[in-house]
Amino acid sequence: MSAVSSSGWLYGAIQRRRNRGLGGLYLVVAAFLILYAVLFPGILSVGGFSKFTQNWFPLALVTMAQALLMLNGGITLAIGPLVSLGAVIAATTMEGVFGVPGGIVAVAFTGLAIGAVIGAIVAHLRLPAIIVTLAGSFIITGVALILLPRPGGFIPDWLSNMLAGHTPVAFLLLVVVLLAWKAFLATPLGLGIYAAGDNPVGAFRSGVPVERAKIVAFALSGLLAALAGLFVAAQTGSGDPVIGTPFTLNSIAAAVLGGVGFLGGKGTMRGAICGSLLLSVMINVMFFLGFPPVAQYIAQGLIIVGAVAVPELLKSWRAKR
Amino acid sequence: MNAVKSIFRNPPLLTFVLVALVWLVAGLTLPGFGAYGHLRYLLELAAVIGIVAAGQTLVILMGGIDLSVGAVITVTAILLPLISPIWDPTGLVGIALALAIATGIGFLNGAGAAYLRVPPIIMTLAMATFLQGLLVVVAGGSAVTVSNPAVILLGQARPFGVPSGVLLWLVVSAVVLALIHRMPIGARFLAIGANPLAARLSGVSLTRNTLILYALSGFFAGLAGILVLGMNRQGYVGIGDPYLLTSIAAVVLGGSSILGGRGTYAGTIPGAILLVTTTALITVVNASPGWRSIMFGTLILALLLISGREARR
Amino acid sequence: MTDQKPLLEARQVFKGFFGNPVLKGVDIALHPGRVHALLGENGAGKSTLINLLSGALQPDSGTIAVDGKPVGRFSPAAARAAGIAVVQQELSLTADLSIAENIGLGAFPRRFGLIDYAELHRGVRNVCDMVGLTEPLDMPVADLALGRRQMVEIAKALFRRPRVLILDEPTSSLSAHEAGILARVIETLRDRGTALLYISHRLNEVQALCSHVTVLKDGGVTADQSLSGIDGEGLVRLMVGRETGDLFPPRAAANPGALRINVEGFSAGLVRDIGFSGRAGEIVGIGGLVGQGQEDLLLGLYGAIPARAAKAEVSGKPGLPAHVGSANAAGLVYVPADRKHEGLVLPHSIASNLILPSLGRLARNGFRDRGAETRLIAELAKRLTIKGDVARPVQALSGGNQQKVALAKWLPLDPSVLLLNDPTRGVDIETKREIYLMLRGFAAEGRLVIIASSDTPELVHLCDRVVVLREGRVAAELAGEAISEEAIVGAAMGVDRKGTAA
Repeated sequence: MSAVSSSGWLYGAIQRRRNRGLGGLYLVVAAFLILYAVLFPGILSVGGFSKFTQNWFPLALVTMAQALLMLNGGITLAIGPLVSLGAVIAATTMEGVFGVPGGIVAVAFTGLAIGAVIGAIVAHLRLPAIIVTLAGSFIITGVALILLPRPGGFIPDWLSNMLAGHTPVAFLLLVVVLLAWKAFLATPLGLGIYAAGDNPVGAFRSGVPVERAKIVAFALSGLLAALAGLFVAAQTGSGDPVIGTPFTLNSIAAAVLGGVGFLGGKGTMRGAICGSLLLSVMINVMFFLGFPPVAQYIAQGLIIVGAVAVPELLKSWRAKR
Repeated sequence: MNAVKSIFRNPPLLTFVLVALVWLVAGLTLPGFGAYGHLRYLLELAAVIGIVAAGQTLVILMGGIDLSVGAVITVTAILLPLISPIWDPTGLVGIALALAIATGIGFLNGAGAAYLRVPPIIMTLAMATFLQGLLVVVAGGSAVTVSNPAVILLGQARPFGVPSGVLLWLVVSAVVLALIHRMPIGARFLAIGANPLAARLSGVSLTRNTLILYALSGFFAGLAGILVLGMNRQGYVGIGDPYLLTSIAAVVLGGSSILGGRGTYAGTIPGAILLVTTTALITVVNASPGWRSIMFGTLILALLLISGREARR
Repeated sequence: MTDQKPLLEARQVFKGFFGNPVLKGVDIALHPGRVHALLGENGAGKSTLINLLSGALQPDSGTIAVDGKPVGRFSPAAARAAGIAVVQQELSLTADLSIAENIGLGAFPRRFGLIDYAELHRGVRNVCDMVGLTEPLDMPVADLALGRRQMVEIAKALFRRPRVLILDEPTSSLSAHEAGILARVIETLRDRGTALLYISHRLNEVQALCSHVTVLKDGGVTADQSLSGIDGEGLVRLMVGRETGDLFPPRAAANPGALRINVEGFSAGLVRDIGFSGRAGEIVGIGGLVGQGQEDLLLGLYGAIPARAAKAEVSGKPGLPAHVGSANAAGLVYVPADRKHEGLVLPHSIASNLILPSLGRLARNGFRDRGAETRLIAELAKRLTIKGDVARPVQALSGGNQQKVALAKWLPLDPSVLLLNDPTRGVDIETKREIYLMLRGFAAEGRLVIIASSDTPELVHLCDRVVVLREGRVAAELAGEAISEEAIVGAAMGVDRKGTAA
């Protein structure tokens, strides 16, 4: 009668069911990866794979940062500025007395703190996330510009080589981040973020600390975005106060591509990660095929609309039959 | 005491009082701020934001958001000089064409939202991205100078000492206020913004109103684009970018709910003036770009705390 | 039993919203091993009292006491810790999470800070067996029908092993079978010593299950007494405070007029290939278990969801309305069951809601005619006895008055066909009577009234003809003397003989 036969497997059954809903997306991602490997067989070497995942890594992080909030029923327009600020702080603190570890702690702390403050404003003062993060993006950009008015700063070469060299460290880091997310989602608070996004009143009545869940979601989102900034700084070897700008749009686009909905509680993080991979592959392909950056914009606009419209149209087409 | 309370309950009035206070204090403390020429200049700048925000107000009242207004302004400002026919000495044909294009872009946004069911925030964001790419292809990244006489007249003329941009804003304000408060379509927009499903089951057509709404937003953004072009005499890629966030900020400062269903353009008008004024003040204190950005963000946040609080769920 | 200390009580609680007092000094005490009924018309303050008892709201004054000891700041978490669980009318479920995760939400068993899925599974299996939920536990709640979700909600409350269980209209979306299971669960819990508070508009359920009643009227307690020796009439008298007479207006001699709706091979949503017709002057009921296509039939006729038919004639014209606008133009109007989400624009004023469908008709030269609008609104408010300032937001009204607004807004269109979806759900008895009278009046005026209802007595006593749907098809069509509760329930359950269904 029950698909869950032995008690230990409930978790696995739930996970399998979530995967089943994403079958189509997995197929598309696989098809694109195969196509990519055929076009650019270099990806199959260690170096090529490393470079590919390094391009993907920051996008994956900011997509998680965005999807986390969208699942909670919010959105953030402060992703790009947070990435920039992360990069700037990394580039300005790593030559200090505490060195690289100090820099990493400073970046992580800044991301968490800014996220928590934004989250507290949204949760406790009941202001709409889209406007608060919009205002926040100005403030964060301002701070980044004051810390480092023009690109520069210092990132130790060994760090750049380790993170963005010829080894797949970025990929391993991504795996670590994903495992951490899985563990977090298996905590009551992690599932609470989902529940509070879909049905905040119901979650509150069920005893989920809805406000705390929101603040934690914003804080984690800030952390992920700032860490993406640190990685970008390591990649480019310096800090740049506006380097994060494209990430705001891309994070939304990737999350939407991965099937994360706008109303909260709809979608999965694994879908969002697939979305970021898909977007990353598309950007890479266009870059390698020599498309001007302009064409990327046009294609991106079409892709975003298509990603949302096609499933919707399919749904209404099925309903009509 | 009661008077103070009623001001706090009436966001448009609150914003208006704030503007008056800021003008009064700045006029008394800063030399030159209160001069007619300076105030006129502020209103001229506010007119552009106000006109873009006219469309944005309508969209937000209906529960959507238009993130493509900046791109539409840029498109209009760049295309108008290119498409104004030489045989037309008045320049009106060029304006009509540019407005038609802007309205058409808005209509496409509406079609995406209505027929493809793409959420407006995504549809308009994608449209903005798309246009950004298209523009570079069309204009090649260089600035274009305008020679269209009607546009220059609009941007530079001052009948009776009042900039024609401000006059245009007055007309737009009258039209939009009438649309919201005196015409059935305004009530329909508000009903859809508050509860789309109930509105639909009450016989309000979502498709039709969505199409009209985004077409209107495109039209107003196009109008603002023409005004900006006339004031600058040049169109270039990125000219419209600052107006996206300011248009949304002006609506929110005016006390309209960002979630739709509640608000009025009467609040957006002082909201636009307040934004321009404070930006001007930030410039006066001669801060670095970083500090200016921080002040601007803090300002929006602070004003939100005063006027934009959403009701409990 | 009654000399035991109450597990949960409210003492002289006051609560108001925006200056309007809702509860004015209410006392209620829930004793172990007793099913306590809470009755009252809509707007009497029942929901507010529940929210106070469950910690979702704080009283303005007065105390909430657990085990006789007053608690300070009561939160949902504190209430849960005290063993209080609530089955709310509005579901508290998360659509994308599985049944098991929904049931455990807010009360997850943990190991090392993580959710203990094995332990969760055991506990959830246990409560699901109690309420007859046989669906796989990993199934997302989104895939369940409304009635099943309600059962998940009940299982969720049971999972917390409550000492006090509050049930707010738990059967409103349940089938008769599911309601029977719930009744047995309630009896089991009662025998185990749980204190239960039961809120329902269905008086027969109250009589069958409860032994004590508290009646709220206008925020005060008008009765707090044992239920023994009180019959249905008596209950109604307690609630309304006077004799009610017959709830249903006398049925007029049926003389149906012209065919207003006639469809064959009609499909829409869950509805598959059915024939349906209605004549002017008729009240046609649509019955069946919850979610058998009743709503889709109405919405399909109304042009609100895609529908197709082999042959269709609506208001004398061939073909189905393509969208809501054309349905309105053809004289069809629709009053949804969920007035809060589908029927009304809650934050807007009563006036705006009443005028919404008539906006275009009243406009002159494209501008709104304020004078004509004000006159129309005043007339509608008077006709439906909607009291007070029409500039108030409609959400300030009680459920019954909200329903009146949802119905009244259509009257200016002079509809020839009224499609009503459960128009008396959650509506107090007094308003119910008014609505029934109005519907009878509509039929007498030569309109066709089609009413889908989950309330079987309503179908029996109000309708001239009843169509029972089962799995999207017509299971029975009853007319005149053939309409009986047994016949309707029997057809709905798919049995021929009465008795085997209940």
